[in-house]
Amino acid sequence: MKYDELDGPVGKGIAGVMDAGAGYCDARYYAEDGSETLVMYDGNLESNSSSFESGLGVRVLYGGAWGFAATSRGSDVAQAFDKALANAKTAAMLVSVPLDMGVRPGVKGSYSSPVQKDPFDVPLQEKLGFLASMDERLKADFVQRRVVFLYLQRMRNRFWNSEGSIIDRNLVNCFANAIIMAQDSDGQMQRRSKSLHTTGTGTRGWEMVTDPDLWSGRFEGMKEELSQLLSAPELAFGRRSVILLPGQGHLQVHETIGHPLELDRILGYELSFAGGSFVTLDSFGKLRYGSDKLSVSAYGSIENSPGTFGFDDEGTPERDYLLIDKGLLVNCLTSRAMISEANQAAGRRVFESSGGASRSTAFHKAPIDRMTNVNVLPGGDGTLEDIVATTEDGVILDNPTSWSIGSNREHFHFGCEIAWEVKGGKVTRVLKNPTYRGHTLDFYSKLSAVGDRSTWVVEQVPNCGKGEPNQVMEIGHGVPVMRFDDVIAGEER
Amino acid sequence: MLDETTRDAILRVRDEAADKGIDAFFVMHREKSHLMRIGNNSVSLNTSVDLTRLDVEVIDGRREGSYTVMGDITGPESVRSALDAAVEKASLSAPKDYDPISPAVQGNAEEMLQYDEALEEMDSRDKAVVYREIIEGSGKGLNHSGSWSSGSTEVLLACTGNGNLAWRIGTDQQFSCVLKHPKEKWELASFQTGWRAGDVKAGATLAAFDRLLPVYEKPGFRVEPGEYTVIFGSQALAEIVGMALGTGFGGRGYEEGMNWTCGSGVGDRILSEKVTLVDDPDDNDTFRFGFDMAGMTRSRFPLVERGVMKSLLYDLATAARYGRRPTPHHGSVSVVMAPGDGPECPLEAVKKMGRVLFIPALHYTHIPNRSKGIFTGSSRFSAVLVEDGEMVRPIFSSRITDTFQNVLGNIAALAPWRASVNGSSTYGRRMPEAASVPGYMVSTGVRISDCAESF
Repeated sequence: MKYDELDGPVGKGIAGVMDAGAGYCDARYYAEDGSETLVMYDGNLESNSSSFESGLGVRVLYGGAWGFAATSRGSDVAQAFDKALANAKTAAMLVSVPLDMGVRPGVKGSYSSPVQKDPFDVPLQEKLGFLASMDERLKADFVQRRVVFLYLQRMRNRFWNSEGSIIDRNLVNCFANAIIMAQDSDGQMQRRSKSLHTTGTGTRGWEMVTDPDLWSGRFEGMKEELSQLLSAPELAFGRRSVILLPGQGHLQVHETIGHPLELDRILGYELSFAGGSFVTLDSFGKLRYGSDKLSVSAYGSIENSPGTFGFDDEGTPERDYLLIDKGLLVNCLTSRAMISEANQAAGRRVFESSGGASRSTAFHKAPIDRMTNVNVLPGGDGTLEDIVATTEDGVILDNPTSWSIGSNREHFHFGCEIAWEVKGGKVTRVLKNPTYRGHTLDFYSKLSAVGDRSTWVVEQVPNCGKGEPNQVMEIGHGVPVMRFDDVIAGEER
Repeated sequence: MLDETTRDAILRVRDEAADKGIDAFFVMHREKSHLMRIGNNSVSLNTSVDLTRLDVEVIDGRREGSYTVMGDITGPESVRSALDAAVEKASLSAPKDYDPISPAVQGNAEEMLQYDEALEEMDSRDKAVVYREIIEGSGKGLNHSGSWSSGSTEVLLACTGNGNLAWRIGTDQQFSCVLKHPKEKWELASFQTGWRAGDVKAGATLAAFDRLLPVYEKPGFRVEPGEYTVIFGSQALAEIVGMALGTGFGGRGYEEGMNWTCGSGVGDRILSEKVTLVDDPDDNDTFRFGFDMAGMTRSRFPLVERGVMKSLLYDLATAARYGRRPTPHHGSVSVVMAPGDGPECPLEAVKKMGRVLFIPALHYTHIPNRSKGIFTGSSRFSAVLVEDGEMVRPIFSSRITDTFQNVLGNIAALAPWRASVNGSSTYGRRMPEAASVPGYMVSTGVRISDCAESF
């Protein structure tokens, strides 16, 4: 259906539920939620799939409680409003803290991802030809497995709410990854991989995928590193410095800064699935999250990341602000209803306004507090080489193979693809099977070096899971090279 | 249920495609899902969705393409449109260097063994009533959270290779309630599962909390890293078994040298002789599907018998590539672990074992080294320190980093009864899945690698 055809029925639906006593209502119609997945495995196209979703999701706040309903049937618009209202009325049977969206003027606007070449306008054969050429470049005598992966998204949706907002969004995301694998001298499979990143500026269409500086330019280096891993010794257990390249640092930030700073987690709305947070409402303005080298922003005015979307799913424009300022926790990832509840619970105004972080992954999922772009700001400790030069005993780590985080995000364990040993300020050799672990606040307090802008890239996360019903969200993280001291790395025998 | 128009539309387009010689496979998926979420003693979300999806997969020689649509799928035009998209994708695709295996509906099926209309149409007010009873009946001053997902899943499979039609409708539900201390942050949890409207009972959750609340009034215990005897509850056991199967028994990983089982073969002893695992689609403690999502007929399928590896799982793509026979494991599986001969009560099983950790559930497990079978995850809900068979104190969030071979190899006791553990996710389409495992497992020499100073 076209948007204009829905303006009337949706407007009528919103008016109906507001007349019935609702405090707020919004609706999102996805004219298109399309994706294409292409996977080449050892040169064989093992996935060549596309999907298309279309439908309407309606959210109603009644008596301080949320009801939501969605339908993929165009004929069911009125029923979706009725069902969402009925669900909200039922939810209102059991409310201890009534939710409140506050009062905001309606917003009329639109946002489109900056794109030179829409990936869905690129002929399939051209994409497959490109994929085959990427696969060809991954070949080497010792490489036993090659995987080239493309995941493309295009979403066109309209948002309406009871404040008169109407917002259109056209979002495009391109994700790519290349993996090579081979068995090492102990018969264990080792791997190196490279996913498509952005620089933070520019466009995010097909041109991003084909830009060698953002992806394929690393393939030769990957092959060399994999060949070294095949005869490398294992990282020995012990305390040492760890230097995280952005390929690993972004996931460290994602799991131990991003997730603990989602306000719904802090308030206890994720306990039955994703978990809570060690952060409390008393922490803001008081908690030392890390050393004074740690400054973290939300959104970050990044032009071309999957965490950049113009307006969130409550109609709030994306906002650039600090989460951590020189080590001090100052803010978190917020939505309108959550800041209202947080301020009520704290008995003071902890948060001034929504951080524009209310996001939904599809028309059939209700929005929840999500990351946008959560970024560590570049520091003043120079290049990777500069940081290595001032490291006495450490390892450089890249790309996650495993991640496991405590339920309140207070501790973590990561496995990585590769480690480079650093002794006396010099890189000495490659080590395999690296792991490291730590406790979040202690770990960030030992942040001793932050690379400059030359080390900073925006890594894309296509698959952040959270919420019930579960939702997979696309996110970005701008991160520089970071060094942490006195970290337990490797496994005890 | 799918109306006749939709069913007829699929069959009509299937027949048209067959007449044109198109090798196509159709999966229609309809879900009516409801979820109530609880947070801070309130309903934080009450949501209903009614969604219909159609997957069409086309094989054109060595080329493949697939297309999924969710939207208005009400007539032959929409089915035809999805078929055309899949045909086009296949025609433009790059050929493989092996012959793909076409999915085919192996037999006619009409299944509604686990369907309860009362659950499908359950009034969400009934859920609010149950949660209210739990909130009012346990833990004054504590925070209750949870979720209760329920609904129906209907699938219809057809292919152009034959005239068979496989149809199933079933209901399922997954209930959780988490009790959290607002300051200490400890968490107790209760999980329930089933496919009938009356399967979830407030009393069961209240009783579970009542058993543990006195222990949780005591200060938390920080577990020093080292080796411990651990009682794994059914949730933790199902997770460990599921990950062990996923990283050890997949045919692709085995053929390509990635699995922790790669040093062994079918017929080799790989785990404790107390471990017997089957995929049993007739087990009523799991969600029963008589066919998988590639149309293959399912039956009892041995995986491990008294510690000996019996078989590997091959999806169509892997089987085609490596010249193996595919196994019926596309979609929901029904992992059943045989019970043991330990005492009814896990505390009785460790009465003479001194200091033991009781870890009912694991949080955020992952695989740092698949080749070695190393997994890591942390304790979460309801974990306690046990001394001489008595629960004495709650334990802080503790990390286990160990191997499947060790944890499932050094089993001191297994419960003589089984528990159904719901493993369904709500990330994608509704596809209920449950495992049936012993109510507890006692393993010795389990490595605790880290412990927080809080819950």
